[in-house]
Amino acid sequence: MNKAWHPKNEREEIVLSPIHAVTNNDLWLWGILAAILLAGLVSWGIQFFVTGLSATGLNRPVYWGLYITNFVFFIGLAHSGTFISAILRLAGQGWRKPLTRAAEAITLFSLPFGVTSILIDMGRPDRVLNIFIYGRFQSPLLWDITAVSLYLFSSVVFFYLSLLPDIALCRDRLTEVPAWQHRMYEILSLGWTGRNGQFERLEKALDGMAIFMTMLVITVHTVVSWVFGMTIQPGWHTALIGPFFLLGAIFSGTSAVVIVLAILRKAYHMENVLPVSLFNSLRKLLITFTLGWLYMMIAENLTTSYGNLPEEMRVLGQKTGGDFAIMFWAMWILVFFVPLLIFIFKGKDNIPWMVGATVMVNIGMWMERFIVIVPTETRPRLLYELTKGVYRPTLIEWVITASLFSGLILLYSMFTRFFPIVPLWETADSLEPEENEKPVIGFRQHKFGATSSAMLKGK
Amino acid sequence: MSKWSMVIDLDKCVACQACSIACRFENNTPVAAPDQSEMGRAIRWNDVFPLPVEGEGEYPNTKERYITRPCMHCENPPCIKVCPVGATYQDEEGIVRQNYARCIGCRLCTVGCPYTVRYFNWSAPEWVSPLSEHLNPDRVEGSGVLEGPSIRPRGVVEKCTYCIHRLKKAHEQADAEGREFRADEYVPACVQTCTGKARFFGDLDDPTSTVAQLSQKRRAFRLLEEAGTNPKTIYLQEG
Amino acid sequence: MSRNISRRDFLKMGGLAAGSAAALGALKNVMSAQAATESAGSVTTAADQKIVASTCHLCSAGCGILVRVANGKAVKLEGNPMHPINQGSLCPKGQAAPELLYNPDRLTGPMKRDRATGATTPITWDEAIKTVSQKLNDLRKAGHPEQIVMMHGDTRGQMRSFLTRFMEAVGSPNTVSHESLNVAAAKLGNYLTQGVYDLPAYDIEKTNYILSFGANFLEAGSNPQRTISGYTYLRRGRATRGKVVVIDPRQGIHGAKADEWIPIKPGTDAALALGMANVIIKSGLVDADFVKNYSFGFDNDGKRKGFKDFVLENYDPAKVEQITGVPATTIARLAGEFASNKPAIAMLPGKGGLLNGGFGGVYAAMAVHILNALVGSVEKPGGTMTQRYMPCVEYPKLPSDSAASKGLKTERIDGAGTKFPLGRNAYQAVADSILAGAPVETLFLYDANPAFETPGGKRFADAFKMVPFVVSFSSFMDESAELADLILPEPTFLERWGDDHIEGLGYPGVSLYQPVIEPLYDTMNTGDFFLKVAETMGGTVAKAFAWKSYEEVLQFRLKDIGADWKTFTELGVWFQPGYRFAKRGSAHWIEEVVGKDRMNTPRDGYFDLYSRELNCLLGKKKKAELAPLGITMTGDGANMPHYEATAFAGDETEFPLTLNVITLMSLGPKSEAANMPTLQEISGMTVGETWGSWLEMNPETATSLGLKDKDTVSVESAFGKIQTKVRLVKALRPDVVNLPFNLGHTAGGRFAKNRGVNGLELLNPASEPLTGLAAFTNTRVKVDR
Repeated sequence: MNKAWHPKNEREEIVLSPIHAVTNNDLWLWGILAAILLAGLVSWGIQFFVTGLSATGLNRPVYWGLYITNFVFFIGLAHSGTFISAILRLAGQGWRKPLTRAAEAITLFSLPFGVTSILIDMGRPDRVLNIFIYGRFQSPLLWDITAVSLYLFSSVVFFYLSLLPDIALCRDRLTEVPAWQHRMYEILSLGWTGRNGQFERLEKALDGMAIFMTMLVITVHTVVSWVFGMTIQPGWHTALIGPFFLLGAIFSGTSAVVIVLAILRKAYHMENVLPVSLFNSLRKLLITFTLGWLYMMIAENLTTSYGNLPEEMRVLGQKTGGDFAIMFWAMWILVFFVPLLIFIFKGKDNIPWMVGATVMVNIGMWMERFIVIVPTETRPRLLYELTKGVYRPTLIEWVITASLFSGLILLYSMFTRFFPIVPLWETADSLEPEENEKPVIGFRQHKFGATSSAMLKGK
Repeated sequence: MSKWSMVIDLDKCVACQACSIACRFENNTPVAAPDQSEMGRAIRWNDVFPLPVEGEGEYPNTKERYITRPCMHCENPPCIKVCPVGATYQDEEGIVRQNYARCIGCRLCTVGCPYTVRYFNWSAPEWVSPLSEHLNPDRVEGSGVLEGPSIRPRGVVEKCTYCIHRLKKAHEQADAEGREFRADEYVPACVQTCTGKARFFGDLDDPTSTVAQLSQKRRAFRLLEEAGTNPKTIYLQEG
Repeated sequence: MSRNISRRDFLKMGGLAAGSAAALGALKNVMSAQAATESAGSVTTAADQKIVASTCHLCSAGCGILVRVANGKAVKLEGNPMHPINQGSLCPKGQAAPELLYNPDRLTGPMKRDRATGATTPITWDEAIKTVSQKLNDLRKAGHPEQIVMMHGDTRGQMRSFLTRFMEAVGSPNTVSHESLNVAAAKLGNYLTQGVYDLPAYDIEKTNYILSFGANFLEAGSNPQRTISGYTYLRRGRATRGKVVVIDPRQGIHGAKADEWIPIKPGTDAALALGMANVIIKSGLVDADFVKNYSFGFDNDGKRKGFKDFVLENYDPAKVEQITGVPATTIARLAGEFASNKPAIAMLPGKGGLLNGGFGGVYAAMAVHILNALVGSVEKPGGTMTQRYMPCVEYPKLPSDSAASKGLKTERIDGAGTKFPLGRNAYQAVADSILAGAPVETLFLYDANPAFETPGGKRFADAFKMVPFVVSFSSFMDESAELADLILPEPTFLERWGDDHIEGLGYPGVSLYQPVIEPLYDTMNTGDFFLKVAETMGGTVAKAFAWKSYEEVLQFRLKDIGADWKTFTELGVWFQPGYRFAKRGSAHWIEEVVGKDRMNTPRDGYFDLYSRELNCLLGKKKKAELAPLGITMTGDGANMPHYEATAFAGDETEFPLTLNVITLMSLGPKSEAANMPTLQEISGMTVGETWGSWLEMNPETATSLGLKDKDTVSVESAFGKIQTKVRLVKALRPDVVNLPFNLGHTAGGRFAKNRGVNGLELLNPASEPLTGLAAFTNTRVKVDR
């Protein structure tokens, strides 16, 4: 690590140190991830240019499978950032501040893979422009496109605005980085100086966007669920599907944040910047979400089974005791039983246990998306063809799925090597400045507020 | 304008599958290879299959029942509602149409149809030479339009069209002869071939038509009536 | 600085702007989305189109077709509305016929095959004609024309008599039809009672009650389309609905659509029919006029016991219940209903029914047909009819030829008339004769694939090895053609001239085959081939066949049908609608209806309840002589229909289940249909199977054997073993299992090959000693995982 730069304090040193030092381990990691990503691209290339969707295990009646599962899952993951940044921001939860960028980065990098999953699933991705030329707003897919596009666009803007002061910091602090990297910071920082009320305007913009993003996050995953909910198929056509998906998204997103934070903490030695208290706060949220998930599942399944409508029971039967029973009950264990016990009894002050639990949650949540989508398809109302209704995903589908995850991890880890993953400017409050220290560009001096410009004048 | 409807008398149907096969050769749907057929990817716009009845009894007081099922051509189609690009639409004569040229293959319509009447081209349809010689040359085409027996590309949805090309040909014939089009000049292939003469077709809005009269019979019912789709393919109960 | 602010603000405003743009765009779409209709394209079609009338050949129904030929290609078949059998309908096999015509595995020209290597070499038609002519002339010269054998299949219309004439001109009596596999039992049943060697025609449209004894009349049988049309008219085409009762161990579609399904113990139909006869007689419900004045043998006559006493003594419903498993009350009720709801029909199976191929099957056929007589349904509207045929111009008498007459006096190769006293054709027994050493020098296979379609077809593979010269006319390289020396493919039915006689409606009619397009390949109508062979052979054979083409032969024979050739080719069909029921006892009755085919007994117009034909044959035989003929009943009982306990092939404890092989509506009976990919795709619709076989089994039986639905099982009989998938079917007797027919081909094309298993491999290859019928419905099997 190049010690030629001069961190102003310990915090800055910790947060900025991952940058400017791409190690061999990084190259290995990125190489492997890139290879998987490449395998996914090749698979998709085969699917697009050669075989069409016949290379998948999809069939009639299971028209949607892994690709749509991935779509829902990745959009769901994206809710992590918005929840932490926007909703907790509006709720005045200050403890969240170190997490915001790490969480928003999950949002930023998982959304594109969600959108890509749709393109991968389309029979004619070359005709995607038809959606814009001939789009019909009666269709839930148009609501999806609109909401997700807005979400993507807003997330980019929100993320960029939040990152802006820190880019300026990198521009100013990190003098020993390669010239291209420095140039990148220069361009991206847009001449930010931190003076003349820039911070006030930024905060106002972020506040405004936070409200907008909160509305969006509630809308987006609800609208994603309505692609299923607006049909009249048993298992899908339930009023609860919107809230169900929404809770699931926030749940899996928050779990992802835990995992990511734990990795960052370990890999970049950020124990002091990301203290255990953060995890404890997240733990409380996760307990709430786990219980919320239980509530949703009971509400949905008790209502269904009590009503005993034949077509609904056939689908429910597929989940509880039929072709999908193993996955269904594994999901319960991975999403609910084990994590809840861990959260309650083992999770306090214990990051490894938290990570274990949240990894299980996310595996289980991926299964949950699958369980929502596929069993309904295997039991159409007009029971026909006595031997069909089976879905076995093929290698191409799994490779593409893996490549989506590796793509997300790749982009994320590359990001952490070029930009600070913990916001420095937002958490300056917690910094105890040294006596007589001059204000430094890039640090917000809330306490010193209006006197900053005065001090600058005096400089 | 006519409101096209089909009535199928299950008492006369002997589940021979002539309808499904007449449809195939009329509309150029491909054969499914054994592995594809096994997977459930066979495309038969009209399909005949056993319909298990709840509480159907044990041997020897048990009966196997079958149903023949084209598209329902609903008056309130759930598929059209969800299509993002208008590739599926309903024309003025009540036929739910499918435009292969515009379809993006998202398959919202296929999962949305409660009757599972829609099919998807997982790969481009193929005919082992010289089987392609027997393809029906009729095409419904236009700018940005490809429908009916036209050969479909890979990645688009297709389904029964009540033989839209036959309707258009009948209209053209009437126009060419300078006279009014008559509803009985046009029947879909399945109706024409039925071995049991179990299928009827015509204008539901014409109270004197066979379909209109049959639709009022005591035996008449629609599949999934509770779903609110109001299908125009109507069935007559057995017995 | 202002630059910075504006950039940032720009970002913010840009975001809002983009968002609004999306929203506005969306709003616009809301407006346009309300217009649910779009402008549609226009229809185009082929410039050159015509419709050609012809006939379908994918089963024995012979439905009339109208073929749409667009730009020189046959693209679609429809039913011919003028044709009385199908009246515009067409079943899935006919609809799929373009897959036969344009099949990638069509044989494209004549070829010869090297027996040692199996390699085939194309030859010319001239060469083929020369080779065959030479062979036939050599055999005639050597004084053994009877060593020429012609095996043929369904072979409808004039072709059958044409081939027979050729064989007679050459001097061989050995034209063997495949009817011993299917329709011969019913024909014999009719012959021994009514004295007509033909399938009865049934006036389904006017009947009130149908009692079907194993006739698979909605899926297969001798004329499925005719019976489907009749059935649907019976149900919905008239004021009264008519009742249908199906007696069959398998429900199938006919049982599902019937009012009652009687799952009878296999092989016991004779007992059931006679049990019903017992009730009808006892209840005084017989048609007294018919029985007293127009039948023979109802009452006792001196020494001879009559039908009445015989039935009353031996077939009490309680006893019949023991035999058949049908409750006595049901027997009595059905009998009462049958006899009180006239007109009523007791229907014989035309094909694929269980009466065929059982020891005692002929007696069962007699018993069933006699039920019609007892209630006076014979030759009555709503009852049975005697099939009439269009008048054919007689062939000129064959020129006298000593070589031929000598050959014609020899015993038939299949033992019909000798080894099998009552038999007229014993198709499956040809292999046995050859394997036993009977000399066959030349074997023609026309519309015939015995290596596949007979029980234990592999025997034919062995038999062919012993025949020096085998010729197949198949359009595909099927299992038998694969073993032939010359393969001389005929064109498909869409490319050749031919005809079919309309059967099943009673009134006469003839249906035309004509080329709808020019033949695709270098094929030759077998009729034309034999005309050329005759010409090349010269002598009396050439003289017997003075026509230049098979089309000319047809024109010659069909000159008197009442329509000129041009009209006939335009319409594709010609018939005399309206069956004229002969008045009982009239000259018409005696000449055309009752007794017209009798060979050994008087053609006196009496319906034999006691079979005098049988008496001629069996009357002098003692018990010891009857037993080898499969007859345990002695005395007068042997001449009357009676129940013979089926001697099942296979130990009952080791092989607890009875096996049926069922012809499907999808694949039909023809080997070539198995290479039509669409038919393979839809073959197993009833159980959700495709492109392969399955074994139908009752769920209780499966449970007792530890089997689940879709398990792979082995099915073994005393004759063979196969492996397939088991599918549970509730509507099936627990002691019976079914396999579909026309699967399990090992040749015949890429779509047919290796799909499923051939159930016929498991069946008893024996022939019934009395009749030469293929006796396979007595085969028992065991099923294991």
